[in-house]
Amino acid sequence: MRKTMVALTILAMAGSASANGIKGNGPYGTAGCGLGSMAFGNQKGAVQILAATTNGLFGTQTFGITSGTSNCGESAVGLSGTKTFIEANRDALAKDMSRGSGETISALSRLAGCADAKAVGAKLQQRFQAVFPEQSLSDEAVSSNVISTLKAEKALSCNELG
Amino acid sequence: MRPLLALLLAAALPGPAGAVELSYPEELVATARAEGVARDRQWLRLGHWRERAVGGWESEADGPAFFLSPRGKTDPEAELAATLRGLFAPEPEDPERQHPQCQFPARFAFLARRLGIDAAKLPVRRCEKLEKFWARTEARGVTLVFSSYFLDNPASAFGHTFLRLDKGGERGSGERAELLDQGVNYAATADSGNAILYAVKGLTGLFKGEFTALPYFYKVREYADYESRDIWEYDLALRPDEVAMLVAHVWELGSTWFDYYYLSENCSYHILGVLEAASPRLELLSRLGPVVLPAETVQALYDNPGLVSRARFRPSVRSQFARRAAALDPASLDAVDAVAAEPARPLPPDLSPTAQAAVLDAALDLFDVRNARALVDGKAGVAEARQGLLARRSAVPVQSAPLEVPPPPQGGPERGHGSARLGLGTGASSDGGPYLSLSYRAALHDLLDPPAGFSPGSQLEFLVTRLRWETRRERLRLEDFSLVEVVSTNPVDRFDRRASWHMRAGAATLRDGGCRGCLAGIFELGGGPALVAAGGAVTAQVAADSELAASPELQGAFGSGLRLGVGPTATLRLMGGARLSTQASAGLRFLPFARSNLGYALGAESRLHLGPVSLALAWRKTPLAYEGELSAMFFR
Repeated sequence: MRKTMVALTILAMAGSASANGIKGNGPYGTAGCGLGSMAFGNQKGAVQILAATTNGLFGTQTFGITSGTSNCGESAVGLSGTKTFIEANRDALAKDMSRGSGETISALSRLAGCADAKAVGAKLQQRFQAVFPEQSLSDEAVSSNVISTLKAEKALSCNELG
Repeated sequence: MRPLLALLLAAALPGPAGAVELSYPEELVATARAEGVARDRQWLRLGHWRERAVGGWESEADGPAFFLSPRGKTDPEAELAATLRGLFAPEPEDPERQHPQCQFPARFAFLARRLGIDAAKLPVRRCEKLEKFWARTEARGVTLVFSSYFLDNPASAFGHTFLRLDKGGERGSGERAELLDQGVNYAATADSGNAILYAVKGLTGLFKGEFTALPYFYKVREYADYESRDIWEYDLALRPDEVAMLVAHVWELGSTWFDYYYLSENCSYHILGVLEAASPRLELLSRLGPVVLPAETVQALYDNPGLVSRARFRPSVRSQFARRAAALDPASLDAVDAVAAEPARPLPPDLSPTAQAAVLDAALDLFDVRNARALVDGKAGVAEARQGLLARRSAVPVQSAPLEVPPPPQGGPERGHGSARLGLGTGASSDGGPYLSLSYRAALHDLLDPPAGFSPGSQLEFLVTRLRWETRRERLRLEDFSLVEVVSTNPVDRFDRRASWHMRAGAATLRDGGCRGCLAGIFELGGGPALVAAGGAVTAQVAADSELAASPELQGAFGSGLRLGVGPTATLRLMGGARLSTQASAGLRFLPFARSNLGYALGAESRLHLGPVSLALAWRKTPLAYEGELSAMFFR
């Protein structure tokens, strides 16, 4: 009996849950290692991470632990890790860059091996227009702009970028 | 970092070199049997075996690859023997398969330590993938992460928990670079896009639940940014060997799955199961009831004294905005409003650069709160508008200071009352005379419950039953039953105009012109604006409500058993600190085409919270009855 009632309840609650895969063709929905690349099932372009499906019942992370198949699963220090991070955190990083500080700037500095996150924040704020000249820029272009900015500024000594 | 296997086995492999005997594995099997190692609680936890009600054992793990013995799922002893033999096995021929030493590093470490396996007699394998995983996690600590309730999505309404493997290093600015930590999540792999199928499969264990690893920043973007859910992080005081064991066990679980049960064997349940397996001194799963809610798993941590070394609050973008807005004067708030709506709007001319930065910072957060969904959907113009706002902010050469957001006054889920509630009371009704009442709620929280640990204004109740024994007539009534009831109160202010809403599905005994004391199925849906004042102490709300009632005894629309009701409801709620909650409400219902076409309901209730017990005094009036009741409520 309890099981039946429970089933009914979930049915009632599930009414609005069918919006499980939020299709994204916005800034998250691009290829590469952005959020959109973590496909939701076979719905291409659907934004897995933003699926309205976060309590586990509907969660759909596609990384295997043992297989290590995801192209984004590694957050290793160095050039590739930095690239991955920038592309996946593009929107949050853009916001922190415009403010010249924030958590993504700290994490980015650490990945890139920069000496001082505050100096990185100041520089990226100053170069914001050069890194994000327009919104339609691809994630890859954004990450390459960020990385070349960090590399060009020797004083930041971001020595993990090669 | 030291290789994981070397670290795990450091203390375990003592012996000096000796002659390799073919029978050494069998010797170990015999020793293990003699010593009852298969009943060791860490062995049982590593295999996720639970005692069955009918006797014997059964593992919750459902992937066959998790067992080396064909009887492994139900026989911890057979699996132990097979594992011991496996550790000595030659390299598998299929290069896709891992050697048991590599596939089961935690079992390996446990057995090596428990049985004192002689290193000289056991060729230790190279486990490249495992060591890569270990190097990637760089785990020096473990944090349990709770993302708070999210009523706008039924699947997340109860919250969610997962683990974070902390690199814990400090560098550069001195901030912890938690975003780069590895998260370990347990989730159902949903293979259906159909909501009904989701529900049925989720309840009956037809989804596979799997452990996955992903960088923490994905979770932060998802919860804190997109869904605007606050996150609580609980750092656990685990020893380095326990941390290594945990990573090793997570690796083991990566190659299997569990049947996913939404209510019991869910994300929160298995996350605790991993902690227990890594650290046998912990008692976690035994603290849980038959229905496992994420908040209760946080409380289970606190039931182990000293386990939580530190709790931290990670504010959602909405909370960040609220904090920024609170620091601004009225003129600046006007500017925030204007710029968030129209990024090119000029700022007041007399603002200093620092003040401009503060206004734009708040406007940016407000923009993201309002447009989270539109940004993901790629709605035309929204991302461009955001870009304009960002460019504008970047042109103000002021680096924002780190935003400190204090945790909300009601505290984290560890402070919440138990979600199951039992009520015993006595009352009198003008209709049925004196009565005794009994009520039970399976979960979770209503607006008059003790407020600590819950989001203010959010109610989520699941399986609520109220029974009444009318002593004079010696009659038992099902007074009221809710399958589910949700109330989401969103205080309206200048920046947030979302309506509050309410939904209930269940049954109630009606006492009005349609029927006198019949039990009817009820579905209610309504919403309207709510105002909150005095720091959350006063909430006033008006709502346009609708209600559908169905009962064979009901004289409803056109004389049928169905009746629709529509009309306004006004509610006033007063919170007297953490001790006292009071609510009064009045609702009017027009009942079109029904014989008696007007109904109403008045009610008032006050509760005094005394630790695990609340005393409640309630009064209700409907067209055909009024009643008063005094009851005691016990939380567990």
